[in-house]
Amino acid sequence: MIRRRGSRTLVNLVGVAVALVMAFPVYWMAATALKPSGDILSSTPHVLPWPVTFEHFQTAVTRPFFVDYLRNSLVVVLAAVVLSILTAALAALAVARLRWRGRRAYLLLIILAQTAPLEALLIPAFLVLRDAGLLNRLPALVLTYFMVTLPFTVWTLRGFVAAIPVELEEAAMTDGCTRLGAFRRVVFPLLAPGLVATSVFAFITAWNEFMFALVIMQEQDKLTLPVWLATFRTAFGTDWGGTMAASTLFTLPVLVFFLLVQRRLVSGMSAGAVKG
Amino acid sequence: MLLGWPVVRDVAISFQRLGLAELVQRRTVWIGLENYREVLADPFFWTVVLRTVVFTLVNVALTMVLGLAVALLLAAVSRAVQIALSVALVLAWAVPPISATVIFQWLFDTQFGIVNQALTGLGLDFADHSWFATGISTFGVITALVVWQAIPLVALSLFASTTAVGPEQYEAAAMDGAGPWRRFTAVTWPAIRPMVLVLTFLSVIWDFKVFTQVYGIRQGGPNRETVTMALYAYQQGIGSREFGTAAAISVIMMLMLTAGLAWYARLMVRSAEDEQ
Repeated sequence: MIRRRGSRTLVNLVGVAVALVMAFPVYWMAATALKPSGDILSSTPHVLPWPVTFEHFQTAVTRPFFVDYLRNSLVVVLAAVVLSILTAALAALAVARLRWRGRRAYLLLIILAQTAPLEALLIPAFLVLRDAGLLNRLPALVLTYFMVTLPFTVWTLRGFVAAIPVELEEAAMTDGCTRLGAFRRVVFPLLAPGLVATSVFAFITAWNEFMFALVIMQEQDKLTLPVWLATFRTAFGTDWGGTMAASTLFTLPVLVFFLLVQRRLVSGMSAGAVKG
Repeated sequence: MLLGWPVVRDVAISFQRLGLAELVQRRTVWIGLENYREVLADPFFWTVVLRTVVFTLVNVALTMVLGLAVALLLAAVSRAVQIALSVALVLAWAVPPISATVIFQWLFDTQFGIVNQALTGLGLDFADHSWFATGISTFGVITALVVWQAIPLVALSLFASTTAVGPEQYEAAAMDGAGPWRRFTAVTWPAIRPMVLVLTFLSVIWDFKVFTQVYGIRQGGPNRETVTMALYAYQQGIGSREFGTAAAISVIMMLMLTAGLAWYARLMVRSAEDEQ
């Protein structure tokens, strides 16, 4: 089929226009963060951030408790991811490799849990943690994020394990490996990329999580970065430069990770609820 | 199991009177269906339910239609534009929801927001227009925000499914005299239909329970006009300390999603069984 050149150019123009619209909010965040305050609060928009200033980033990171919030976020997210991946790897192996009664029901439960409205569990989670005296304590959030990420780490890893031909393991066992040995020498190296990708998904989910952090951690030095970001503007008056700088800092690690694994994200999408 | 316990607790609490007094004294007062009676008799609750359903339908429809349009656009543009558009989509997708929320607050800022400045530049009377003065207008901003972040997943997944269709199929269809619309309904649509179903389903769940963006933009304001079910349960429980009625609202939310979930889980288990 031969297209006329004119219609092809038009389609490309539309494509470029849509790309600009989709990317604009992200660009505007970064551009605002880099502009002097006078250019931000001006009645004529300054499209390019020129001259560039880093003062907003400095204001953002020198705000009280920033270091605490950064540390809280990192500790909680990393602990939850490690726990979640270790548990999920074992569960994924059991589901994908072993036949046991109730396996089908277990799969069903995982899918239900993954799609379940966690938002609906806010009240009971709050009360359970309150009864246990865990409110405002980091382990409470670790436990919550472990719970939030587990269903989809199990589900995604199951997919990766299922993609490794079982014959490889059998061959290793014929050659004298034990079941564990076969796992360590054959499955684990092949599973490594899957483990990395799944950890990154889990990291992003936990790093972005807002609602449980808002409810569980209410003392001033116990917040995590998303809650800090949400209250940034109102707590310090309307400082858009500072707000956008804070937002940029918070977004940057996610962007980097996301670009690294986005191919897998798209291909494994129907498996995962990887969205806020 | 970790998820099961809060669900059980939630149902149990919904049959109890659990206000601040009971919480402090650690008393359990069973009151049967009283909470449900109270919630269902409250006209505001029905406003919220209706609002949440309409919000969900509008957002899902917009997401799917625009996402499909972008997917077809991706398939039609030249290689360079395709890469640019994909990068823009991944950027929009990767931004953490809470960052996206503060960015949109800034884009739609009354005095210095770029949206008002651009519309004024086009000769429209949008100088100092407040987007957050009415519920409808605030919902408009929330919808723009949610749909902007939801398009990439839909567009990239559907584009991936369209690539499964070989060019020779289109050529054959064109040879048989099929126009663009006929080619879409006869060749493209059957190939992407299963993916469209899954994505529509996931979007319904995500948009129905969305919390971060709705809370982040205006905490349900102005005048509680943008309170959705997820937000209502939060305000009732964490805000007003009426945990019994909040739990009842959560249970109703879960019930509303269960029918859909069951259907989705069946679909996923079947595909998982096929893989093995």
